[in-house]
Amino acid sequence: MSKALTLKRSYPPGDFAIWIVIYIELLTFGLFFVGYAFSRRLNVQMFNDSQLFLNKTAGFIDTLILITSSYFIVKAILSIKNSNENDIRISSSIASKWLLATMGFGGVFLVNKLLEFSDIFAHGFSLSTNTFFMFYLLLTMFHFMHVLLGTIIIYTIRQKTKRLGYTSADYSGMETGAVYWHLVDLLWIVLFALIYILR
Amino acid sequence: MKKNVEIVWLVLIILSIFAFLLGYLKLVSSSLVTVLLISTFIKGQLVVEYFMGLKEVKFKYRIIPTLWLSVVLSLVAVAYYLPLGKL
Repeated sequence: MSKALTLKRSYPPGDFAIWIVIYIELLTFGLFFVGYAFSRRLNVQMFNDSQLFLNKTAGFIDTLILITSSYFIVKAILSIKNSNENDIRISSSIASKWLLATMGFGGVFLVNKLLEFSDIFAHGFSLSTNTFFMFYLLLTMFHFMHVLLGTIIIYTIRQKTKRLGYTSADYSGMETGAVYWHLVDLLWIVLFALIYILR
Repeated sequence: MKKNVEIVWLVLIILSIFAFLLGYLKLVSSSLVTVLLISTFIKGQLVVEYFMGLKEVKFKYRIIPTLWLSVVLSLVAVAYYLPLGKL
């Protein structure tokens, strides 16, 4: 392997500005996660009892959806990254299909979450029910907004991909959207373990 | 890289099934909290390194999300393990 191939990239993938956004998001969600864990100490029984009303299966399906959609967007990037001038039309078409699958899974996540929220509200729970439901609803709704934004971003990336807007020499825009989507995935992985499983 | 992505996806799915079963079968005891937090750390680290692509960049950029995962999950562990009445 040549020395050039073993060199590390100077900067993370995507636009550098997205990493500022990512660090701010990590800090914000991190404070919420730690706040949840320490608030639980004040009334462990209430947190454990309230958690029983959550649909663990729905949370698990959401996890599978986001992890798989993250995989899809990596495949879209690899299609463009490994393309050359001669096959850019085919590579863009393949990438576009992976992006469509990512959007589709994002849409399924949003619908699944809306069903879960409607079930929670139908049981009479709200932000003011207790501290557990305050954290649960705040965190999951805040995360929901991120998935919604991520799906819109992927839609715009897909539109550009269909116009052959990305090449193996310039796909930074696609990487920017992808790292945001992976952030959404990363946050959900911690959220799922903390809110749905740990007790 | 190509094969890595498939393997990473599979490991993430397996660890998610493991976490779900622990919760679904109500097996989460105090000793398994650590196991679950470590499995969450591994999942997060796989997403950061292989999906976000930070494995390919310099250490100073890779370390920030890793530190975030370590600090957040360690503080969660402290909150779960510290005897009630302390803090």
